[in-house]
Formats: sequence, structure tokens, C-alpha cells
Amino acid sequence: MMGPATLEVPMTQLPADLEYSCREEASLDAAETLDHFLASVERPAFRIAQMALRDRDDALDVVQDAMLHLARSYGHRPGAEWRPLFYRILYNGIRDKQRRRTVRSRLFGLLPGSRADENEPREDPLERVADGAPGPDRLLMADQAMQRLETAVAALPARQQEAFALRCLQGMDVAETATAMGCSEGSVKTHYFRALQSLRATLGEVY
Amino acid sequence: MSEHDVERPEAALERRTRKVFDASVEQLDAGTRARLRAARQAAIVELESRQRPARQGWVPLAVAASAALVAVLLWRAPAESPVPVASSGATQAIDALEVVAAGDDLDLVAEDLEFYVWLEHAELDGHGGGQG
Repeated sequence: MMGPATLEVPMTQLPADLEYSCREEASLDAAETLDHFLASVERPAFRIAQMALRDRDDALDVVQDAMLHLARSYGHRPGAEWRPLFYRILYNGIRDKQRRRTVRSRLFGLLPGSRADENEPREDPLERVADGAPGPDRLLMADQAMQRLETAVAALPARQQEAFALRCLQGMDVAETATAMGCSEGSVKTHYFRALQSLRATLGEVY
Repeated sequence: MSEHDVERPEAALERRTRKVFDASVEQLDAGTRARLRAARQAAIVELESRQRPARQGWVPLAVAASAALVAVLLWRAPAESPVPVASSGATQAIDALEVVAAGDDLDLVAEDLEFYVWLEHAELDGHGGGQG
């Protein structure tokens, strides 16, 4: 079994649209470099978290926590290592939120008067309490294509979601994705392939 | 059309989904962008606060080391001083003042005045009767 990939990413493998370059990085201090990096990932990271959690505020929370955690624990590390580390922290936060939701949902399920129909899809009751009217998150999802994509991705198993979001939506290579997911490159390829197969089956007619 | 011109279904799916995703990222509302910006600033402050103690940690250490050095020098300086302390008139005046300030028994001083006169002369002559 292959171990997690090395954190060192050659400069030639960095995506062209990355908003900072390693050459510029040398002349900037750590705070400026981190600022540039976070500015480049904050919005896609939020969208990815929102796709996984289906909630704007929860998504903002996990992105904020990931930023703080990165600054606190890995701010001294070379900038080239930040991206996989940041997404690893982000997905840990997402999984933590999902676990808490599951526990909360089970607790609410034990309360008298809760719905006992096992055939209905599980839903967090608190999600229904806060938003009576369509919130900004719903307005943002006005684009039907995005809504379909979100629904299809949300139906994937968690690891396939991660592989798809990092490989396809974030354009990470296999090594970076493996670091971010904390698994081998072979596992990344398997998860990603299965995710693509499922999404093709779901979105094939639309996309 | 060659075989290479036909896009694989997976590749087409990847391209389309990435396009949709990028568009949704660009369409984020101002409120969400502002909150993300604030979160970023908080992370920068966190990083700077982590770096500051490391940089400034030398300052109190240097001050403490300097103070210790000065204290040692001051402590050792009288022992190495070439000036004879006991023979200095100013020092004697200070010693007398210390006796008064310390509240010693002034009656004893008056009664044994002759003793103290002798003691002073003995020290000046180098006989050294006072210390023993």
C-alpha cells in the first residue's frame, strides 16, 4: 500500500491560474503570502463546503475554521504545501459538521412527535427552523445547472465527493489530492473514477 | 474527424462541471464575500500573533541578561576598587550617619567616646585594633 504523497509540489505542476507565484512569494513576508493564498482559495473552498453541507452558514464556519487552523498550525510551512493542507483541514471540518448533524438528527428522532417513517430521507430538523423564507444561499443556487450538480455530488459517497471536488473542481493533481485526502494516489484514482461514473449516470443527459 | 477530436464522455463531464462550478464561484454575493474576507483577515492576524512572540522573545531575554551582568559587575566592583574604603573621611561620616539612622544606643557612644577616639587613631596609624 502506498503511503501519503509527499507535500513537495514542483513549481511546474502548480496551476497556471494560481493567484500567487512561488517567485513572488520569496519577496513577500509570510502574512502577505498567506493572504494571497487564502484569497485564491476562499471562494471555491466555500462553494465546495456548501455543496457538501448544503448550508451557507455551516460552510462559512468550516472555511473560517480551516483558515485559522492553517495559519495557526502551518503558517510557517512553505506556501506550496498550503493547498493540500488547507483542503485536508477543510474536509475534516466538513466531516465533523456532518457527524454532529447526524447525532443531532438522531437525538431529535428520539423526541416524542418526531417522524418515524424510515422510508423518508433523513433531514436535519434544525435546517427547517431557521429559514422560513428562501435565504441568500437559495438565491445563489438559482442557476439550475449548479443545483443539479450540487444534488448529484451530494448523492455521492463522501470520499468520492472529495476526490471529485479536489481533482475536477479544484484542478489538483493526483499527488496533491492524495495529500489532501490523506490516502494513497491509487485510492484517489479509484474514488475519482467512481465519482465520474456516477455523475455521468446522473447528469449525463443534462451535461 | 479523427479519433482524437472526439471528446471522451468523462472529459466532457469534467469540462462542463468545472465551468458550472467556476461560474457559481464568480456569482457569490457580496455578503458571503465580505464574510470570507473577514475570515481571511482573522487568519492573518492569527499568523502575525503567532510570529510576534517568537520575534520579540529575545527582547526580555536580552534585558534580563543585561540586568544580571550589571548586577554582577556592581557586586564585584567594590572588592576590586583601589580606593581604601576605611580611610576615607566621607566613608566614616556615612558610617556615623548609618549608626545614628540605625538607632543604635547613643548612650554607649557617649560613654565610650575615648574608646572611639583611640580606635580612630589606631586605624589611621595602621595598628588595626578596631576590627578584631
